[in-house]
Amino acid sequence: MSHFVSPEDPLRDDQPAYAAAFEGWLAAGPAAFRDAARPIVSSERRAAATRELMRTLFDDGWSRYGWPTPAGGLGGDIMHRAAMWEALARHGLPTMAMFEHLEILAPTLVAMGRPAFVAQVLPTFLRGQECWSQGFSEPDAGSDLASLRTRAVPIDGGHVITGRKIWTSWAGYARWCLVLARTGSVEDRHRGLTAFAVDLRSPGVEVRAIGQANGTDELAEVTFDGVPVGPDRVIGDLGGGWRVAMHILSHERGTFAWFRHCLLQGYLSGALETGSPAGAPEFGSPAGDGALGQAVLDLAAVRAASYAGLRAQAADAPLGVRAPFVKLLLCAAERSLNDWVLESDPTLALGVGDDHAAVAWQEYLFSRIVTVYGGSQQMQLDTIAKQVLRLP
Amino acid sequence: MNAALDGVDDPFLEAAGQALRAAGDGPDPLTALGWWDLLPDLGDRDVRAAALALFRAHGRELSSSVALGALLAQPFRASAPAAPGTLVATIASSAPGRGARLLVVGDVRGKVLLIDRPGHGADLVAASDLELRPLAPAGGLAIHEVPVGGVEPDRSARLGVIAEREAAPARVRARFLGRLAVAWEILGAAESALALAVTYAGHREQFGRPIGTFQAVRHLLAWARTDCAALGSVAALATSLDELAPARYDEVVKALAGRNGRRICEQALQVLGAVGFTTEHRHHAYHGRVLALDALLGSSAELTHGLGAWVRETGTDPSVPAATLWSSPDRS
Repeated sequence: MSHFVSPEDPLRDDQPAYAAAFEGWLAAGPAAFRDAARPIVSSERRAAATRELMRTLFDDGWSRYGWPTPAGGLGGDIMHRAAMWEALARHGLPTMAMFEHLEILAPTLVAMGRPAFVAQVLPTFLRGQECWSQGFSEPDAGSDLASLRTRAVPIDGGHVITGRKIWTSWAGYARWCLVLARTGSVEDRHRGLTAFAVDLRSPGVEVRAIGQANGTDELAEVTFDGVPVGPDRVIGDLGGGWRVAMHILSHERGTFAWFRHCLLQGYLSGALETGSPAGAPEFGSPAGDGALGQAVLDLAAVRAASYAGLRAQAADAPLGVRAPFVKLLLCAAERSLNDWVLESDPTLALGVGDDHAAVAWQEYLFSRIVTVYGGSQQMQLDTIAKQVLRLP
Repeated sequence: MNAALDGVDDPFLEAAGQALRAAGDGPDPLTALGWWDLLPDLGDRDVRAAALALFRAHGRELSSSVALGALLAQPFRASAPAAPGTLVATIASSAPGRGARLLVVGDVRGKVLLIDRPGHGADLVAASDLELRPLAPAGGLAIHEVPVGGVEPDRSARLGVIAEREAAPARVRARFLGRLAVAWEILGAAESALALAVTYAGHREQFGRPIGTFQAVRHLLAWARTDCAALGSVAALATSLDELAPARYDEVVKALAGRNGRRICEQALQVLGAVGFTTEHRHHAYHGRVLALDALLGSSAELTHGLGAWVRETGTDPSVPAATLWSSPDRS
């Protein structure tokens, strides 16, 4: 396949053709894909295998579709990315790992970052060399994001950032962190914020990994002690951080559901095909058919709703009020699928079994917290009550 | 009504609502809407969406017509000698201990009834030759039971017979369309129940303020609205895909409709409090309509369990294939 940007590129201009061509590439069973599709319990080995897959997808051109050419992509839109990840998941890739931020942060970077900076960082992100993390939450600012206290003080030639971020997904693996910091006063609430791209290798940055209850280590606490950031690293406008945050959250809650639900769908198929997640020859029993049926319904709901979101995004229509629904439906599907898994094999909780079982247990536990991540379920419900139902 | 009802930009939904409200002793609303003229062109996406919007309007208005039976009969039309606007299918229903029953929805006087007999083709019978027994479920669903004698009419009473080889494919198509229609009607009724509860929460005061300001109440209503959004998305996708939808997607749609419709009504009832359980309030009518519709063409409980068993036993991925979505005609 050609890697240069040509005025006529059938894969760029014809997304179903792209999807079919990628299907052919996957069907040939490339080694990097096979390695990443195995069940891997260790976070570090998982990260390494996923990085290698990303390198191959970039070098062969596939992951460059769906991103604009000035930023190092090959053109096309979100439907290309949706097709690539759907196929990877359907063929057995269990997770996007730290590259889930490609679909949460990168659309905002591309839309709001300085073009030269985006052209520098997007290709290295896509190629798996340099990952990104999202520095929003703080010890005293979770759902109430507008009360965050990390400060960015102007100096000659930029800002200096001081503060503490927590629950920063993938910071332990990331080169970059998109930090939401206060450039105005605390009383300004959401109006006094600015988004910065901070190099986590800068002096004054300290990253402390936080082990999660499911044995993975994607979370971290990040401390910034007088970290200088140049003006080209501002994302969006000075004082426009809230807009950046809302853009990111609309993706995290809206379109990201498509990508995540594909992994759930693939997980279900894998369980039924191979007898994993329990590593047993058969999985499930008639007693669990009702629970499995519920999962099928919930998956169908998030698929239909998130597909509509993709189409709206591709047509440049605002995601708007769709996002909280899609986010809630994704959580429901993730929970009901894992409810069925655990009902089908309660011994997962005892730690018996092989790597399939260990990963199934990690997934089950993770499904208990998805209703918190990316905006708690209560906040989504509040948004619907206010913005959709217009309750007093 | 209010913000709980979306789809107001759908001109056919609006038109259908108006026609149903205006019906009374006037002309047949299906004729007034030109609804019968849509049936031969259900293969067209826009026509199909318009034809199915009638059912959502039926749910909202709690009205009834022969439209469901007509839709179920449409796939048999090629083999059924009946004038346009006259053929209406019966709906089979069964429950353990109750045996099989045949039902018809709407006023079928003067119609030709199509009685499907899976494995044995289908019969055409004049409705006037049968003694129909009215049932009276809550929610104003005009439904009649076709007496057992009517199931086995004399050969001489039949207007026609459709051979099994023609009936078999028509039956599959009919079930798809019928389940989709009932799902839209459930959405219409459930979202109307929700709209009542949202309005109520906005003005009913306790502790000196509207109960809609309390987070516990707001969340009940927001969950219900989420269930509406889920059902609307799935029903819209199925309507758009039609014959491109994967196997048993009609079961997914109908099962989701029954489950979500019931949940929506239950949340709405909880917000309304005791008045919602009285005959003085309209909630019970919408709620009853949803429950009655859940019982037609496969209940949520039955379909959900069946889907689970099928997926487990066959390892089938029941989702709409991505390739179908990528190439679907409605891509903007």
